[in-house]
Amino acid sequence: MADVLTVPQVRPVQPALRFLRVIPGVLLLVVVGYAGKLLEQNVGAYAKAHHWTFPNIEYVLWAIVLGLVISNTVGVPEIFRTGVATYEFWLKAGIVLLGARFLLGDILKLGGVSLVLVAIEIAGSLAFMTFLGRLFKLKPKLTTLLAVGSAVCGVSAIIATKGAIEADDEDSSFSIAAILALGALALFTFPLIGHALHLSDHAYGLWAGLGVDNTAEATAAGALYSDAAGKLAVLVKSTRNAMIGFVVLAYAIYWASKGQAQAVGNKAAFLWQKFPKFVLGFLLISVLATYHFFNKDQIGALANLSRWAFLLTFAGVGLRTNFGELRKQGLRPFAVGAIGEVVIAGFTLALVYGASKIFGW
Amino acid sequence: MSEEAVGAGTGSLWKLSLDTWAVLVAFLLALLVRTGVFKHVPW
Repeated sequence: MADVLTVPQVRPVQPALRFLRVIPGVLLLVVVGYAGKLLEQNVGAYAKAHHWTFPNIEYVLWAIVLGLVISNTVGVPEIFRTGVATYEFWLKAGIVLLGARFLLGDILKLGGVSLVLVAIEIAGSLAFMTFLGRLFKLKPKLTTLLAVGSAVCGVSAIIATKGAIEADDEDSSFSIAAILALGALALFTFPLIGHALHLSDHAYGLWAGLGVDNTAEATAAGALYSDAAGKLAVLVKSTRNAMIGFVVLAYAIYWASKGQAQAVGNKAAFLWQKFPKFVLGFLLISVLATYHFFNKDQIGALANLSRWAFLLTFAGVGLRTNFGELRKQGLRPFAVGAIGEVVIAGFTLALVYGASKIFGW
Repeated sequence: MSEEAVGAGTGSLWKLSLDTWAVLVAFLLALLVRTGVFKHVPW
C-alpha cells in the first residue's frame, strides 16, 4: 500500500526538480555568452571611436575568457554547476542545427576526404599514444584511455571506453583532466599557429577537426579562426566522433581477450549504443535542407539558432575549465598527454598540408 | 502494476541519452521554424 502511494507522488516530481536544478547554470551560460557577444560589438566600436589600435576579438573568445576568469577566480558555485554541465547538450543541439548549412553533396565530398584523414589520424594517434604510455610506464588501461581520448573524441570517448574496458575511476579522471587541460591550450594555440602559417579556412578547419580532441574545443578553435573554418571543423570532428563505437569495440574485445573486461555480446547493439546520435541528426537536417524542406529565411533562422547554442557551449567551456583542479591530477599522465598532443598536432598538420597539396585547397 | 509501468515508462523517457535529447530538441526547433512559429531568429 505504501508503495502504491509513494510511486505516483515521487516519480512525476523528479524530472521537474531535475529541470529546475539546471536553470541557474543555464542562465549563467546565457549571461556569460551574451556578455561575450556584447563585448565583441562594443569593445571594437569603443576602440575605434577613441582611435585605439585594438584587435577584433570575436564573441567566441570573449565568452571563453569570461568563463575562464569566473571559474579560476571566484569559482562556479555549486548551484550553477548542474546547469553549466548542459553545455554539452547545447553543443550537440547546435551541431544538429548546423546541418542546415550543409548540402548533402558537400558533406559526402568533404566527409569522404575527411574520413580517410580521420582513419589515418586515429591509427597514428592510437599507435603513438600506446608507445608513449609504455615508454612512461603508465598503467595499460590508463594508456588505453589516453590513447582513445587523443585519437577519437576526448571526454566522451574516455567515458565510453572506461565502461567497456572496466578501467578505474582514478585512471579515467586522470585522462579526462589531461585531455581537458590540453584542449584548453589547443583553443588558444591552434588559431595562432594557423594564422602564423597563413592556413586557408579550409585547411585550418580540417586541422582543428582532426587535431583538437574535445568536440566543444574543436568547434571553438574552428570558430575562433573563421565561420567557414568553424563549419568544417565541426564536420571533420563529427566524422571522428562517428568512429567512437568501432575504436571502443576494438579495445573492449582486446581487454576481454586478456580476461580483464567482460566479453561483448551483441556487437551491432554495442556499436549502436556508442554511436553519437547527434551525427545522425546533423545528417538528417542536411538532407532536409538539400531537398528544400526549409526556405532560405528558415535556413538563416536555423543557422542563428545553432549560433546561440554554440554561444552557450563556449561560455560552458570557459566555466568548466579550472586550472587549479587540473594541476592536482598528477604530472605523468599530463606529460604523456602533452607530448602526444604536440606530436598529433604536428602529424595532423602534415596530413592536412599533404591533402591540401593533392586537392589544391 | 499500471502505475509501475507508467513510472517505468517515464523513467526510461528521461533516461534517453544526452545525444538523443539534443537531437529531439534540435528537431523540435527546426519544426517550429518550418511551421512559422519562429519566423525570424536574430543574431
